[in-house]
Amino acid sequence: MKIEKQYTTGQIISLTTLRILIGWHFLYEGLVKFYTPSWSAKSYLSGAVGPFESFFHNMAQSAWQLKIADLLNMWGLILIGLSLFCGFLSKPFKIFGILLLLMYYLAYPPFFGIGPGMHVEGSYWIVNKNLIEMAALLVLLFFPSSDVTGIDRFFNNNRKSKL
Amino acid sequence: MKKTQNNQIFRRDFLKGLTALPFLGYFGFAFKDNIEREIQAKKKDSRETLGIDNFDATSEKLTRPTGNESNRIRIGLIGHGWRGEALLNSFGYFHPEYIEQMKKDNLYDQWLPYQKRHEDLFVDITGICDTFDIHAKRGMEVAQTDVRHENSGSKLLQYYTSYRELIESKNVDAIIVATPDHTHAQIAMEAARAGKHIYLEKPMAHNIEEAIELRNAIRETGVVLQVGHENRQQMSFKLGRELYQKGVLGTVSMVQTYTNRNTLFGAWIRERKFDHLGTPENINWKEFLGKAPWVDFDAKRYFNWHRYNDYGTGITGNDFSHTYDCINQVLDLGIPESVVALGGQYYYNVGKDDMPDVFNAIFNYPERGLTMTYDGTLKSGIYRQSRILGSEATMDIDRSIMLYKDPYSERFKDAATDPDDPFYYYAPNTNANVDGMTSATSKSYLKSGYGPTFIDGKVIDATFLHLKEWIDTIRTQGKASCNEDRGLEETITFCMANLSYALKKPICWNKVNETITIG
Repeated sequence: MKIEKQYTTGQIISLTTLRILIGWHFLYEGLVKFYTPSWSAKSYLSGAVGPFESFFHNMAQSAWQLKIADLLNMWGLILIGLSLFCGFLSKPFKIFGILLLLMYYLAYPPFFGIGPGMHVEGSYWIVNKNLIEMAALLVLLFFPSSDVTGIDRFFNNNRKSKL
Repeated sequence: MKKTQNNQIFRRDFLKGLTALPFLGYFGFAFKDNIEREIQAKKKDSRETLGIDNFDATSEKLTRPTGNESNRIRIGLIGHGWRGEALLNSFGYFHPEYIEQMKKDNLYDQWLPYQKRHEDLFVDITGICDTFDIHAKRGMEVAQTDVRHENSGSKLLQYYTSYRELIESKNVDAIIVATPDHTHAQIAMEAARAGKHIYLEKPMAHNIEEAIELRNAIRETGVVLQVGHENRQQMSFKLGRELYQKGVLGTVSMVQTYTNRNTLFGAWIRERKFDHLGTPENINWKEFLGKAPWVDFDAKRYFNWHRYNDYGTGITGNDFSHTYDCINQVLDLGIPESVVALGGQYYYNVGKDDMPDVFNAIFNYPERGLTMTYDGTLKSGIYRQSRILGSEATMDIDRSIMLYKDPYSERFKDAATDPDDPFYYYAPNTNANVDGMTSATSKSYLKSGYGPTFIDGKVIDATFLHLKEWIDTIRTQGKASCNEDRGLEETITFCMANLSYALKKPICWNKVNETITIG
């Protein structure tokens, strides 16, 4: 209840909207992978470029690492998406989301002179959409709305009332 | 009253906590249909778009190793200029200075595993020969630094002052020739007659007569010849060939090729690291001249030999010959029936017998119903891929492929893509990040498809694969992909253009007699 009192109505609407939009994005990306027969991150990882490419290439080459990467990716996206959407357990999932986006960012960093080559939508230099989404999740992490407009509200309120 | 108020607060709280649920509800209601459409769209893979059953080229695996300790092949290198050294590099031999530089640039830790990734071909470098002592000495240093096996090379390694001695050596089974163009055929023919297999840098020969003579010598002796067009290993050209053969392009009526450069270095007016050290004392001038007309020692002619018609083959033999072979690989064009060419020495004329620096040629293939053009200038650095114009689709091809559907295509009438945008592209990331190639000429070299290629899930140097194919073919006694027949086609095609330019007349090829007619 404390946080609710700190936010204005405009702030809570903005934060909730941002949370739902990012949740939507994650959930849809995850479900597309879930429903795509024999989906795998292998080609994405194999094509990685930049200073960390060997890390991602090795991941693509190793069967068990790839299996874990696929599972974490698909279910990570789905669960992060649901968590943001519903505002449930949103703190740990926001951190998970930031880490996942960091991996995407590092696999294809928009640094000058390297990049996935051709036919990349838009023009990016250091800052790309992954980095911006990471920053947005960071804002949501420190300005949580799930305690007001999410399921976390019930748990946190209950906990507080017990205290 | 209080109870009702509490109820209202509870209900408000409860609804607030479920704010997102209507959105989630809509998502849950509609996402499945959308995802199915999305997956269907993605599933409509390239094969379906292109109307082909399968991609055979891109599923190619690396060929199995043929070498072992008992069938090692001993190789002599003739010509240790920049290309000769690059070929030793492809075998895993590097100059200690190069290795030091990789360490200084912090690339060594990345570079060494890349080097070791290449298959052991079970070859030994046993001979080095160059007409310039300093190049030969450096070649000896390179051949003693095998980074892939971390040893100091073969105990049989020897410096030969004449290529004939190297060819006759009992310690040499096969030779690599990376000398000036006018000596290619002579050296290769002598090697063939001595029973030595040959990896011959392009072009195969300096003129038409030599090319025919060399082709015959290879046929008679049965040695394995591989001409150094490493594009034969580049996946994009293999795939381009497959797409053409599967009818994706429809009827091909025109091919457009280009090679442009805009630097003194690119125009072969060069001052390399060791050039200023060249003197009549440390250069075997007579051996360099070979059968070329005698002139007194001239360091410019020696180091910038590409520019002189007595030794080089001009912009067509240097640049177009590569591009031609790429197209020949895709379309099996062979030798044109006639060629016309124009151009001039407008910018870099360095004296008698100099090569043209602006050049246009048209190659006519009536039996194929197509013409091929070549445009090359040394005064513009604009890069353009080769373009193959078909009735169904047009293919831009180099290390990558971009296909544009024809506005009037029947085959691709349902493809939604605008004819201005490619509806299919092949662009593997072959950036191994392990070479220091940054100049305009070297970047263009990589982009054109002569650097690394992507095969069997790996990035591998195309020149290594081309050498491997030669070595494997020696052991299996077959034919290499860029054999004497392909080399003959390459040399005759660009020589016809050079003759047409020089004589200002069309040049025709009689394929039965294997002769040319002028005019």
